[in-house]
Amino acid sequence: MSGCEQHSYIYMNNAATSWPKPPEVAEAMAEAVKALPGAANRGGLSDFDVFGEVRKELALLMGVPHPEQIALGCNSTWGLNQAIFGYPLQAGDTVLYTGAEHNAVLRPLYRLEKRGIRTVEVPVNGAGRMEPADWERAVKEYRPRLCIFTHASNVTGAVNDVMSLTSVSKEAGADVLLDVSQTLGCVPVRLSEWGVDMAAFTGHKYLLGPQGTGGLYVRPGLSLSSHMVGGTGVKSDLREMPEKMPLRLEAGTGNEPSYHGLLAALIWNREHPADRKQGEAVFRKLTEGLSGLGCLVILPGGETTPVVSFSIPGVSAGEAADILTGSYDIILRAGLHCAPDIMGDIGMAGGTLRLSLSRFTSEEEVDVVLSAIRDIKESGGI
Amino acid sequence: MIFQCKKTENCFSGARTYEYELPVTGGELLSFLEGWELRENHKFRRPVFSAKRGGLEIKGILASHIVKINYTEEGWEKEKEELEAWFRRLEAAERPEDRLE
Repeated sequence: MSGCEQHSYIYMNNAATSWPKPPEVAEAMAEAVKALPGAANRGGLSDFDVFGEVRKELALLMGVPHPEQIALGCNSTWGLNQAIFGYPLQAGDTVLYTGAEHNAVLRPLYRLEKRGIRTVEVPVNGAGRMEPADWERAVKEYRPRLCIFTHASNVTGAVNDVMSLTSVSKEAGADVLLDVSQTLGCVPVRLSEWGVDMAAFTGHKYLLGPQGTGGLYVRPGLSLSSHMVGGTGVKSDLREMPEKMPLRLEAGTGNEPSYHGLLAALIWNREHPADRKQGEAVFRKLTEGLSGLGCLVILPGGETTPVVSFSIPGVSAGEAADILTGSYDIILRAGLHCAPDIMGDIGMAGGTLRLSLSRFTSEEEVDVVLSAIRDIKESGGI
Repeated sequence: MIFQCKKTENCFSGARTYEYELPVTGGELLSFLEGWELRENHKFRRPVFSAKRGGLEIKGILASHIVKINYTEEGWEKEKEELEAWFRRLEAAERPEDRLE
């Protein structure tokens, strides 16, 4: 676990938030709190613009040439709300989305329905992946104005074929909002190459940054109305938010200490590329082990994030999670994972147990987890 | 020691689960419960227990003072009041005369 502290807990809840973080993240945040604050968009040679530096790093990572098109806020939910409520939809327009979406997408859409906007959900397959043929059929049938899909399911880890889904959406004249919360820092993201119009991201999952960071990329030429309005530190004589990105979408004081933390994480990631082969081997050991124990495992095949959903026959997800955490110090997540609609699609209506690994997860930790799950399965719970 | 109580949530809006820190361990608590369906499992690294009566369930680690209680859907508020009243008596005396049925 290069550069990070060892702990007695086995942490496998990285799809919720990553842990541990590189020590540089905490150090940067502590320094930022002690240091003289930044100049709130007023610039100047002496001002270290942490937000600008984060944008540059993120632009490289997301494969976009315009860092200023990245608005920074407090999380991915902020970005998704900004995109969904800021996009110029009118009553009668249709928004198409997949059954794998997080409540950060679903709840804004339910609100849009009350404004006369039609929303259509396209079910994903039994592994949580959007089948391009099903998506294409739905796009042709409903002619949406806006298409929303996640890059990867936070429940099953299935990575979607963004290029195919985007391509058919755009052929039908729709704009595309992609949720890269589960992939940025873990799976290559190439927004410009894919033709994605907007992408919401978070800093605290696979980027290894602190909670309270995240935002939205908006392609040049697409103008969103700002979901939140307020002070920008500059152009204070205007009654409206400034036209120019990213200021247009960034009202209020930014979370400077956390963005110093995220910057440290981004630099750390760049300087310490993850060993993907090693990560895949550890993850494969986990999924094969779970299957071998007789657990009901959702195995999407193809490209995935290191996330696996499963159930232990005869033991409820809640009880199994209580035992794993209480008796074995294994941190995981049980339930709907804030993505309630996917549960029907993957045949797990009551929710799942979810283990989500990080680049720091070791084979030894996987062994301990599998042994604990074996104990639970053999005992049938408490 | 005053018992501590905090609601814990899960993914479902109807969750009625509370966590309690008690003056006795889970294992000691079991000796006060009469007519409950009691289960212990010593195969886990930290042995666990559950106690069920109707839909009401108390569970936790045998050696820990923290237990989790799932109240039933019907009449859970009354159930909670009664259980907490008993916990207060448990605090007042090391071993209360009345057992929890």
